[in-house]
Amino acid sequence: MATADFAFGNPDISPTEEWVEPHLVQGENTTYDSITETVCSIAENPRPPIAWFVSFFIAANVAGMFGALIGWLLITGVGVWGNNNPVFWGWPIVNFVFWVGIGHAGTLISAILFLFRQHWRTSINRFAEAMTIFAVVCAGTFPGIHVGRAWFAYWLFPLPTSQLSMWPQFRSPLLWDVFAVGTYATVSLLFWYMGMIPDLATLRDRAKHPIRRFAYGLLSMGWTGSAGHWHVYEKAYGLLAALATPLVLSVHTIVSFDFAVAQLPGWHTTIFPPYFVAGAVFSGFGMVLTLMVPAREWFGLKHLVTTRHLENMCKIIIATGSMVGFAYGTEFFIAWYSGNSYEQFAFVNRAFGPYWWAYWIMVSCNVISPQLFWIKAVRTSPLLMFIISIFINIGMWFERFVIVMTLHRDFLPSSWGLFKPTLVDILMLIGSFGLFFTLFLLFCRFLPIIAMAEVKQVMHMERHGH
Amino acid sequence: MSDDANNTTPTEPQLLGVLAQFPDAHDLVAAARKTTDEGYRKVDGFSPFPLHGIDEALRAPKTILPWLVFCGGVTGCLVALCLQYYVNGVEFPFIYSGYQFPISAKPIFSLPANIPVTFELIILFSSLTAFFGMFALNGLPKLHNPLFRSERFSRVTNDGFFLWIDAGDDKFDETATSDWLNSIGATSVEPISEVVEGRQVPAFLLAVGAVGAAVALVPPLWVAAAAGTSTSPRLSLWWDMDYQAKFKPQTTSDLFADGRAMRKAPAGTVAWGSLQEQQDQRYFEGIEPDGVAAHRGVPAQFVSAQVEGDAPAEAPPEPNWTKDFPVEVTEELMERGRERFDIYCATCHGKAGYGEGLVTTRALSLNQGTWTRPLSLHDQAVREQPVGRIYNTITNGIRKMPGYRLQVDAEDRWAIVLYVRALQKSQHASLDEIPEELRPKR
Repeated sequence: MATADFAFGNPDISPTEEWVEPHLVQGENTTYDSITETVCSIAENPRPPIAWFVSFFIAANVAGMFGALIGWLLITGVGVWGNNNPVFWGWPIVNFVFWVGIGHAGTLISAILFLFRQHWRTSINRFAEAMTIFAVVCAGTFPGIHVGRAWFAYWLFPLPTSQLSMWPQFRSPLLWDVFAVGTYATVSLLFWYMGMIPDLATLRDRAKHPIRRFAYGLLSMGWTGSAGHWHVYEKAYGLLAALATPLVLSVHTIVSFDFAVAQLPGWHTTIFPPYFVAGAVFSGFGMVLTLMVPAREWFGLKHLVTTRHLENMCKIIIATGSMVGFAYGTEFFIAWYSGNSYEQFAFVNRAFGPYWWAYWIMVSCNVISPQLFWIKAVRTSPLLMFIISIFINIGMWFERFVIVMTLHRDFLPSSWGLFKPTLVDILMLIGSFGLFFTLFLLFCRFLPIIAMAEVKQVMHMERHGH
Repeated sequence: MSDDANNTTPTEPQLLGVLAQFPDAHDLVAAARKTTDEGYRKVDGFSPFPLHGIDEALRAPKTILPWLVFCGGVTGCLVALCLQYYVNGVEFPFIYSGYQFPISAKPIFSLPANIPVTFELIILFSSLTAFFGMFALNGLPKLHNPLFRSERFSRVTNDGFFLWIDAGDDKFDETATSDWLNSIGATSVEPISEVVEGRQVPAFLLAVGAVGAAVALVPPLWVAAAAGTSTSPRLSLWWDMDYQAKFKPQTTSDLFADGRAMRKAPAGTVAWGSLQEQQDQRYFEGIEPDGVAAHRGVPAQFVSAQVEGDAPAEAPPEPNWTKDFPVEVTEELMERGRERFDIYCATCHGKAGYGEGLVTTRALSLNQGTWTRPLSLHDQAVREQPVGRIYNTITNGIRKMPGYRLQVDAEDRWAIVLYVRALQKSQHASLDEIPEELRPKR
């Protein structure tokens, strides 16, 4: 919804076509109506593709298993996990940081690329924002149930309770996390929902069934597309983007404080905030590719989500993946250069200690696989992209695992111990993916998965040079 | 658009304005410019996406939203700082006071530690203002809009471009305005009327509202119930260990035949703390069994405090201290005593027992008024004390010295007494008492 950059001021200036090459929206005879038809028919189709049903059945069952495991955990206690002394954090925090990171690409595509007037974002931002919301839902689950007595999780909020007779500790990074992730979830939801209002109005105006008309009517808040409304709307959307940009950087910075504020060798470093943010964006873009490549195939969106879109994302993956690889190197260098023997041990132990296999999975997935995108043939082939994006997801999960497992060697040899995940740990990780995909498939089925209004605006600009 | 829907003639439709459709975005912007140039002021455009240039064409004022968002951000900043200061920085003697909780000698209110939360709340408040401000400034959500009666208007969110001229405009005249719109390229012109019906709030909305209001009352009531001074049990969703099934002392119980909640001790059990006296008074207290047990087990500080009262209490009778060791005296025990002495006693008494331990030396160098210098173990008075008395001093303490009963077990206390005796001997032995082979060679 960017107009300012094309505000040539004088509408008589002849259209300039050079700035968009190749076209962001491809295909013969693409009209505003055909875009509406393409996108809305996905949500309106009374008979979704059989693949959707199969996927939804599997995902919903896995999500149900996740729910059952949470129930079991609440009844039994966190002993069902492999968390032990000294690895009190274990997989829950690994999964939390992993999922929060996944969410970051969504906000980045939506907000940062919006601020930089990158018009190629328009066809993928809705998808990415939805991914953000669902990833944050998955992320929030883990610390929520990790507190032990989950029904007291509200003690994290500054609420007056005479039962507790005390307030949360505002000098603790774990509390900062509550505020950071809470704000992030809220702002992402507002941003996502607000971007969707004009498209929900489109669905409302096309709806035939009274229930659909009522539901979309309620969600679209009586949107008419009035020029006055668009004026305020664009301002609000731009402001939200401008607010979400520092927010997304701050969230993973604060998540990294959970580690960096500790005194533990291997954690107590200033590299953590930028390193975590780069990793988050890296993993997020990996997940966007994982979702986008099959979705554009199934829903026939190839003319809207073009190879150029995918290629651009691959380029961002090269950049962030290289940053992550550089950070791995820097960590080792600093450990050696500082001359701190505890720090040195921590890193040698990561690479050659009991969890060496995790470390080398992380390095091969995160450092090597993104570099393949330097080859043009690789970054234009959806299949290869999809495979590499899976490797990135695996690698980034292991990165968080490796960081957390640094706990197994503390300063005191008396508190050394290895972490072994239980079956519940493993099933819960799988279950969180089930929750994520269930939500995502529902989103694909009922909501506009492409920001129609934004795509139409970009089309309008391409045609008329506005 | 006109909002004066509350007209007085309920049956007669009232004309609200005319709606004209244009084929493309360009045509709409051009038409909007022409219309405002013509003198119309209450004009609005409708399009499926935001149009560049239409704001200028409609002569629309700039929105104040950025200023609202700025105010929201400032509010967020203040709320965050005040909240953190209140919650962790102050403590009042009432129920919802803050809670000062110092950690590692860090300041109670330290700005750097409060920046993350402050930052997040600035973003949160600004974003909420941007979001809800957008709705408020646009007058949304709107449950009813007569424009939606138009069949054509449903294309506005797809590919329709419309221009609206409000009936409240000074220049408005239904036919003249329609003709004008046709003349500037409208593909269709349609008057929109408000059909006033007996509009009533649907019953289900009322029901939802009533339920919502009732639910909204729950949190404040809960807080009130939790904060009140009632003596009845608190409302608890989860009881945890707040209330437990248990018998209190001195109550009755159906569980046992004798109807008592408390149980009598089974035969042969010894109450906590009473084992020592019953077993061996010489060994555990250093007192001969027929002696008087004076201030048994009372720490030395409290005994002297009692004595220092207004009316000087009569000094308690000296018990009959044990004169010889109730344990077997061996070389091994002596070594054990030396080790324990060096750990527990030497810091004050000094390794040689002259009262020149590190702590004492330090306290004296600082002129610590509260410090009582320990007696030299080589004082005549101490040397003449029976072993039971020294044992008692180690056990229960004396003057500033605390009792070491809890740190050093009885066997080790006797070992220390033995070593103290050896120390004293080492400083006061006559030459005759030293074995021939150990005497210095002349």
